[in-house]
Amino acid sequence: MSSLANQLVRAEKEEIARAIRTLLRRPLVSQHDDPAAFDLIRKRRQPLIQWFDYFCGWRLVVEPRQGYARLIKVRTEPSATRPARRRRATRAPFDRRRYTLLCLCAAELLTSPVTTIGMLARRVVHAAAVESEVPAFDPVRSEERAAFVDALTLLEQHGAIIAMDGATDAYLDDEEAKVLYRVDTTRVIRLLAAPVPPSRIASGSWDALTTEARYGGDEPTETQRNLWARHSLIRRLLDEPVVYGDELTPDQWAYAASLPGRRLIRRAAEEAGFVLEERAEGFLLVDTDATATDTRFPDDGSHAKVAALLMLDLLVSVGRPVTAARLDAEATQLLRRFPQWARAYQSDEGGPRLAADALAVLTMFGLARRTGDRVAALPAAARYRVDPAVQEDS
Amino acid sequence: MAEQPRVPPEMFRFATTERADLHTAVLHAFGEAAERLETVLTADEVRDGLRTAEWAVAPVGEQELAGALRQLAGWGLLDVVFNHAGSFATAEEYERKNLQYTLTRRGEAALAGARHAMAVLNSAGALQTGVLDAIAERLGELERLLSDPDPRRDRRIFAALLELECHLDALRDNTGRFNGELQRLLRVEAAELSTYHEVKGATVAYLQEFAGTLEQRGDTVAAALRAVAGHGVDVLHARALNGAELPEAPGTDGATAWLAARAARWEALRLWFAPDDGEVARVRLLHDLARRAIVSLLEVLDRITDSRRRSSSAAADFRTLARWFAGAPSEDDAHRLWDAAFGLGSARHAHLGHADAELIPAGVPWSEAEPVEVSALLRTRGRNERMGRTGRVRDVDRLRAERRARAEKERAELEAAWSALATTGAMRLSQMGELDHDTFGRLLDLLGRALAERPDSTGFRRAVTSDGRVEIVLRAPDDGPNDGAVAVLRTSEGWFRGPDYLIDVRSIEAPHDREAGEGLHRWVVGA
Repeated sequence: MSSLANQLVRAEKEEIARAIRTLLRRPLVSQHDDPAAFDLIRKRRQPLIQWFDYFCGWRLVVEPRQGYARLIKVRTEPSATRPARRRRATRAPFDRRRYTLLCLCAAELLTSPVTTIGMLARRVVHAAAVESEVPAFDPVRSEERAAFVDALTLLEQHGAIIAMDGATDAYLDDEEAKVLYRVDTTRVIRLLAAPVPPSRIASGSWDALTTEARYGGDEPTETQRNLWARHSLIRRLLDEPVVYGDELTPDQWAYAASLPGRRLIRRAAEEAGFVLEERAEGFLLVDTDATATDTRFPDDGSHAKVAALLMLDLLVSVGRPVTAARLDAEATQLLRRFPQWARAYQSDEGGPRLAADALAVLTMFGLARRTGDRVAALPAAARYRVDPAVQEDS
Repeated sequence: MAEQPRVPPEMFRFATTERADLHTAVLHAFGEAAERLETVLTADEVRDGLRTAEWAVAPVGEQELAGALRQLAGWGLLDVVFNHAGSFATAEEYERKNLQYTLTRRGEAALAGARHAMAVLNSAGALQTGVLDAIAERLGELERLLSDPDPRRDRRIFAALLELECHLDALRDNTGRFNGELQRLLRVEAAELSTYHEVKGATVAYLQEFAGTLEQRGDTVAAALRAVAGHGVDVLHARALNGAELPEAPGTDGATAWLAARAARWEALRLWFAPDDGEVARVRLLHDLARRAIVSLLEVLDRITDSRRRSSSAAADFRTLARWFAGAPSEDDAHRLWDAAFGLGSARHAHLGHADAELIPAGVPWSEAEPVEVSALLRTRGRNERMGRTGRVRDVDRLRAERRARAEKERAELEAAWSALATTGAMRLSQMGELDHDTFGRLLDLLGRALAERPDSTGFRRAVTSDGRVEIVLRAPDDGPNDGAVAVLRTSEGWFRGPDYLIDVRSIEAPHDREAGEGLHRWVVGA
């Protein structure tokens, strides 16, 4: 093979790896907000579609003309650590009200290709009035309008609606604001990823949402069980910061320990541009350029993260579970020691708040777990321990 | 161009006020009376008319009715006539019965307009092949009549011409209306899918039938039209005028206006079926329209069926989710539901890894594997200086700076070692005497490198350090390696004994600084 051909093969591999990680980070990539990433995915869509299908059984839909790519991520273990977030400076997570309004808006948007914010609000008022289990929507109140605007901005972000005239934010101050939207109905529908349509599920059993028929339900065949073990394991690995062996089902663990299983995991990691860390207690994928992650740790991105690292040092060095109160005290002491730092926490009960936020960071990254009153470091926490040798050196 | 006809300003006011019901009913009462050839009505007669009318009007009081009549008279729709001929017993009766009302021309027009408007509103447009046939028949009849110069035929010519015009009007009206309905049908969004299916199915069948024979019928009409035109349109109209027997009205030239109207109608007929060269006959347009409509109706139907099926179920999905979100026990449950239903969440991964991950064997516990390198700033400096500030720690820069500093320090040490080792010429190892431990280490390395080379023909071994900066030339003692001469070197840590080689250590011209630094660094790490 000529060296040019070699170069091309390498470029292709790199591009595919980057595209995979981009899609893991953002399952809906739109041309309007990231043309470069979208182009890359469009160009490499064939191998990408195959990759996701083979390794994790996720469907990737690329619509070159409509300008978006959607990785339909079926989450086998839905987690609360990935909420929808408001598109405001605070990036605060959505609350139940916002989720509810988002869904009502989506339902109403399906009926017409063009609408205005006022008409949509009226329809949502009607829709909420019809549903007995949904509280009435009252756009006269400004906090309701804020929730409504947050829901719409999220839809806008994903390109489900496009403001052709006016800006959604204007509605915050003025109920009479005029904003004209074009609706991309297929994209609205594409927002849903659940393999089972919610309207076909008896209420209350949300677990049924993510049950995929292809794995055979309650009576799977041998092949279906294997396929499930492979897909579910790699899905977790691709999405979660750490996968511990003791959290896996026997099937999954057996698959992970088998020779073909390990080979496949290694291949998946390599082709996606991750570094695989195989340890006695489990696996994790390292994404050195942080393309495939919504947040980073360790990092100084927030006070909670800095505090989390220090708490982790404490947890690891103690080596056994400590009480939550001990962490609170540690945080309080930190705040006292550095009075100029973390002003948001420099108030009454700031210590416990900081400790709680820091613990949330550690939990999110699979590094610590709280059981009752006690908090323990999980095995992967040792990655970040302070090595005595290193300390001496510096 | 003729002036645009203007509707007299208050002609249709009756239909727009609060009392529109009453006003319209009154006008209709006059209309019905006119059909019985009664043109003048008293207030009482109007009220009788209202009572017997088909439509229900709430009974009206005398005052109310009088008010309505006055109002209509005020708008110029009714004329008030005084009946002086009647005989009245009382003053009251006189006042009531004396006044009689009659429709003005304007009133007649207003009533006709209202009736027509309602008829158009309530009728469905249709494309009737029968109308086309009738047009062809009338034209054929006209052609036959015109061939006969007998003036007694003129009346029949007049009647046939009027019928022809009526059929043309019907064709135009119906076609226009039908097209309107068709376009509405294509735009329809709110209709029930099943209704739409039916309407569409019927429409398509209808259009297909119509379009199937349209061309041929159009040709028949065009041929008949040309045959009539062969006799001269002027002749036709002149004879029809003769047959019309218009009443003589003083001061007006009815005939001219009448002929002008006929000419306009004829022109319309021609445009429809046999226009001048270069123009497309309207009947042909109609044909195209029908065909296009069939195609687009079928398309629209497919699209609607498809999108309805999908989006109605998707809308139901979203509504179901809205209910679930509203009823979620906690915010965390709502987040989980969001994650499960939408799958829009990001992956999450560690970004710090080992410089060389393959050095750590798979399967060791995390606690035994080497930790990853976390920027020290985060724990120490970061805590004091950087906390509270925005911006990221520039880990990489910092690391580079540290590495560079370390490399420089090492390089300085090396320089010192080299200068200590550098010989001014070939010398015996034993002449080195006392060395410090580091320098001795370097020397050992150099010796090792040299000894690893094979001696050249003159017995010299040459080696260069990996950075290429120092060269060593080594030769076994002149008097042979077996003379047993032993060199003893003393360091702070102990003694070294070995064959007393002849060595020459030389600095080669320094290469580029940076490369040297890094090369040096590597060398040191390798050592």
